[in-house]
Amino acid sequence: MSAVSPSALLVTSSIQLQTEALSRTYPSGDGQITALRPFSHTFAAGMTSVVGPSGSGKSTLLNLLAGFDTPSSGAVRVGDTDIHSLSEAGRADFRLKHYGFVFQSHNLVAILSAQENVEFPLMLAGVPPRERRERARALLSQVGLEGRTHHLPSHLSGGEAQRVAIARALVGNPAVLLADEPTGNLDTRSGEIILELLTRPAREGKTVVLITHDADVAALADHHLRVRDGEVTVER
Amino acid sequence: MWILARRGLTRRPIRTLLTTLGIVVAVASMVIFLSLGEGIRKVFNDELGGIGPDVQVSLSGFTQGFAPQPNLPQSTVGDIEKLAPELGITRVTPVIMSVRGSLDPSQSAVLYGLPAEQGINAVFSNVAIAQGRLLRAGDSGVAVVGAKASTNLKLSLGSTLRLNRRSAVKVVGILAKSGGLNDSFIFMPLVTMQAAEGAQNRVSMVAVKLDDPKAARRVADQLAKTLNLEAQTQGDFLSFADRALKISDAVRFGISLISLIVGGLAVTNTVMMGVFERTREFGTLRAIGARPGFVRELVLTESLLLSLVGGVGGLLLGLVGIWGVNLYTQNLAGFDAAALTPRLTLLALVISLLLGLIAGLLPARSASRLSINEALGRV
Ligand SMILES: Nc1ncnc2c1ncn2[C@@H]1O[C@H](COP(=O)(O)OP(=O)(O)OP(=O)(O)O)[C@@H](O)[C@H]1O
Ligand SMILES: [Mg+2]
Repeated sequence: MSAVSPSALLVTSSIQLQTEALSRTYPSGDGQITALRPFSHTFAAGMTSVVGPSGSGKSTLLNLLAGFDTPSSGAVRVGDTDIHSLSEAGRADFRLKHYGFVFQSHNLVAILSAQENVEFPLMLAGVPPRERRERARALLSQVGLEGRTHHLPSHLSGGEAQRVAIARALVGNPAVLLADEPTGNLDTRSGEIILELLTRPAREGKTVVLITHDADVAALADHHLRVRDGEVTVER
Repeated sequence: MWILARRGLTRRPIRTLLTTLGIVVAVASMVIFLSLGEGIRKVFNDELGGIGPDVQVSLSGFTQGFAPQPNLPQSTVGDIEKLAPELGITRVTPVIMSVRGSLDPSQSAVLYGLPAEQGINAVFSNVAIAQGRLLRAGDSGVAVVGAKASTNLKLSLGSTLRLNRRSAVKVVGILAKSGGLNDSFIFMPLVTMQAAEGAQNRVSMVAVKLDDPKAARRVADQLAKTLNLEAQTQGDFLSFADRALKISDAVRFGISLISLIVGGLAVTNTVMMGVFERTREFGTLRAIGARPGFVRELVLTESLLLSLVGGVGGLLLGLVGIWGVNLYTQNLAGFDAAALTPRLTLLALVISLLLGLIAGLLPARSASRLSINEALGRV
């Protein structure tokens, strides 16, 4: 993998991610499902793994951290900001500035090339085209895809597409990186490359939250959370 | 954004093409419909404005249309002549008119009788003879035909034109093409036509020429009052025609509105389907930091792009249609009925943009209100 490090990634912004009695219940028939019980936690810099059985509430937690979903009670604080008190547009701006996302499937925009996909957050942020292009190129070569910049997502392998997604997540130099089973769809070898790419920002002091089923994957993290029936506990 | 919108549309080329065609047809039909009014308006302003009597006196004004029944006693001529010195009237011409209709509109013509000794130039100062001669004093049983009427009715010098069972006239002259409506007129002596119509001593109207055409309004009012008849100026005629055109504009616009609405629904449908298909993509855009407004504008841009392309295409197709309409009306009456004026072009473009905007509102709204969570799906 290439050793290019763009200036964007050298200046590491770090910011504290915190939950305060965060909970989520879903209405279900006449009753309620408690997907997440009140959970207070300060995420330390570096990588935090979240493990737990299917349906335990891992994605629910991540969606609340990301601001995709509204908590039933409690708050998510990033630095001084309670992200759920922001307007929808304000939250979008906040995500653009401070968050990076990697999903289980790459979720790239099908009609944009790899390069254009990576440029997209910068375009939203109003970065001038020249700079955009350079930063996107640098990120793509960091994930080892300098030869694939003009490919459409449909012409990339699953592993390559996921690497493009990581480049897109990192291009804005976010302080928080959220990943929901990023290796879930990949073979072991591709998965290893992805994990290696995610541990790098963690080492640089970003807060990385990684949801996984896989104990071996979780072992790579610095801190560990376990979810069972909506109850989150800190391990070791 | 532009790239996203454009590629969003070209992703489903067939569907986009069909929708665009829908708008093309809708806008084209509107353009053709509305261009008809514009062409006729132009003819009135360019040609009728320059010719015809300064004031015309009739029994019931324009309510009977372009060619009123011969229901005015010819004695009116004398009454007007008595007022001539006082009102600055230089010439008084009794006229009898009748439309010779036919199932085939190209076989129609306007029969126009006026005193042979005054000549056709008394009312239509710009006519010129191409073959034969104009009307002259003492003529009877003869006709001088306009260029268009001569070709449509296959009349040449010396042919006989049957007016009805009892009477016929002989063609003694054919006029040069003037480009005006009078190309479809057939002129004949007043007495000949009165006899044929069985309307002795009655006329359709009396044409009045003034030494100062600017006084037309005042003279018309004066004549109407003293004679207790209707008197119209050229200006009255133009505004009457304009009012009639405005009404028919509204009717024609109403008809084209239906096709526009159908076109608009097609756009809404296409854009909406695009939104459904890309729910996940929009969810991702929102997740990585796009505001709801961005997604809304993206969808609106697609809708506007679609309808603008359709609008321009519609204008082009409309031009072809107008050309076709004019080919027909040239054949029929010797003038262009349809015209694509700048204001019509602008109207068509504005309407297509408006269409795109309205059609895009609903899909844009639903796209911007997607829940990120649901849009991303639960994987
Ligand atoms: N939108 C929703 N409406 C109702 N119930 C929901 C909704 N989203 C999640 N749940 C419920 O909340 C619980 C936790 O779901 P969640 O998706 O967080 O599980 P998970 O730990 O991510 O599982 P997996 O490992 O399979 O992804 C489940 O019981 C689920 O059915
Ligand atoms: Mg999950």
